[in-house]
Amino acid sequence: MSGTSRPRAQVPGEIGIWAFVTGDLIVFSVFFILIAIGQKEMAEVFSTSRESLNLYFGLCNTLLLLTGSWFVAIGVERCRDGQGSDNARWFKLAIGCGLAFVLNKIFEWEAKIGAGFTPLTNDFFMYFFIFTGIHLLHVVVGVVVLIFLLKVSQRPTLNSRDIRTLESGGIFWHLVDLLWIMLFALLYLL
Amino acid sequence: MDINTQSSPESDGFFRSALAFGGYSGYAAIILFIIGGVWLGGMLPPLLNASDSPAQAVAKVSDNLLAIQIGSIFLIASFALFGSFGAGMAMQVRRYETTPGWSYIQLIFTAAGTTLALIVAFAWALMVFRPETYHPSIVLMWADLAYFIALFSVPVFGGWCVMVALSIFFAEEGNEPFPRWAGYLNLWMVLLFAPGQMIMWFKEGPFAWHGLIAMYLPFIAFFIWIGVMSHLMIKIAKEESK
Repeated sequence: MSGTSRPRAQVPGEIGIWAFVTGDLIVFSVFFILIAIGQKEMAEVFSTSRESLNLYFGLCNTLLLLTGSWFVAIGVERCRDGQGSDNARWFKLAIGCGLAFVLNKIFEWEAKIGAGFTPLTNDFFMYFFIFTGIHLLHVVVGVVVLIFLLKVSQRPTLNSRDIRTLESGGIFWHLVDLLWIMLFALLYLL
Repeated sequence: MDINTQSSPESDGFFRSALAFGGYSGYAAIILFIIGGVWLGGMLPPLLNASDSPAQAVAKVSDNLLAIQIGSIFLIASFALFGSFGAGMAMQVRRYETTPGWSYIQLIFTAAGTTLALIVAFAWALMVFRPETYHPSIVLMWADLAYFIALFSVPVFGGWCVMVALSIFFAEEGNEPFPRWAGYLNLWMVLLFAPGQMIMWFKEGPFAWHGLIAMYLPFIAFFIWIGVMSHLMIKIAKEESK
C-alpha cells in the first residue's frame, strides 16, 4: 500500500482535526467545571444522587470505549503500515463496541427514568442526563465515522489521503473515549 | 492560511465583487447585532430570564422600551444579511462543482436560517410593540418565541454548518472551496449549538434560554462562525483579484 512511505514521526491526521479536538475539549472543560462547582455547592445532593447510579453500567461503558479505541488504533496502524489483508475487521469490532455503548446507555437511562430520576430531579441528574446525552451524540457520530473508516479500509490500495482520513477518524474516536473517562470519573466515582 | 487559489476556477471581477459582498454582509450582520441585540435590544446578555414572571417581564421591557424598539430595527437588518452571507458561501462552493449539488443544499439551509432569524427579530419587535396592552403572559411568550426560534433550531443552523463542512470534505483533494480547517470549524459549531435544545426543559440554570450553555455559547459561536467564514470569503476575493 502506498501509505507505507509515510514518515512515522509525522503528527497523525491533519491540523483541522486537532483544532476540533482542542475546541471540543474546551467545551467539555466548561461542563466538567460546572459539575465540580455543583459538587462543591451541593455536596450532599450530589453524593446521594451518585449512590443511586449503577456503577456497573458506567464501568461497562468505559471498558467498551477503551476496547473500541484499542481496535481502532490497531486498525489504523495496520492500514498505515500496509499489514494484513482484512484490516476492516478491526473497525467492525470498534463499531460493535460503539453500538453496545449506545445500547447500554439506553438501558441505563431507561432504568433511571423508570426509577423516577429525570433531568428535572436535581442538578446532579440534570448534568448526568445532559452531559452524558451530549457525549452519546458524540458516540453516535463516532459510529458513523467508524462506518466511513470501515469503507475506506476496504479499498484495494490506500493513498496518503485515505491514511489521513483513517487517522483523523481514529483521533475523533479516541476523543470520544477520553471525554467519557472524564465524565465517568466525575459522575460515577467522585 | 491554505486557500487554494492556484487551482481554483477562474473568476471575474463581477463574481469577486459578489463574493466580497457576501463576506462584508457577514461583518455587517455582526456589527448590527452588537448594536441591536447587545447594546440596545437586551437580547445578549439577556434582559429577561426564562424564570421571570409575566409581570417581571413586562416591567423590564417597559423600563427599556425605546432602546429595545430601536434595537429591533438593527436586529432585523442584521438577520436579513444572513441571506447574502450564506449565498456568498454557496457561490464559492458552486464554482468548484461540475454539476450543482452542495451549493443548492447550502442555499436551502441559508434560506431556512435567514427566515427563522427574521422571525426572531419580528418576535422581539412585537414584544415591545404595546406591552401595556398585551396580557403580560403574551409579552413573555414573545420572548420565549424569539429565544426558542434562535436556540432550538439546532438542525437548521447546525445543519447549515454541516453542509458547509461536507462541501469542503467531499471536494477534490487540494481543490476545496474553503480551507479544510474551516470544515472542522463548521463541525465544531454544531457541537456548540447543540445544547440550545435543552431550553425546552429548563427555566433556570445553564440550560435555560438565558443560561451560559444553552444561550451564550450558541449565540457567541454563531457570530464567531459568521466572522470567520466572512473573513475567508473576503480573503479569497482579494487574493483572486491580484
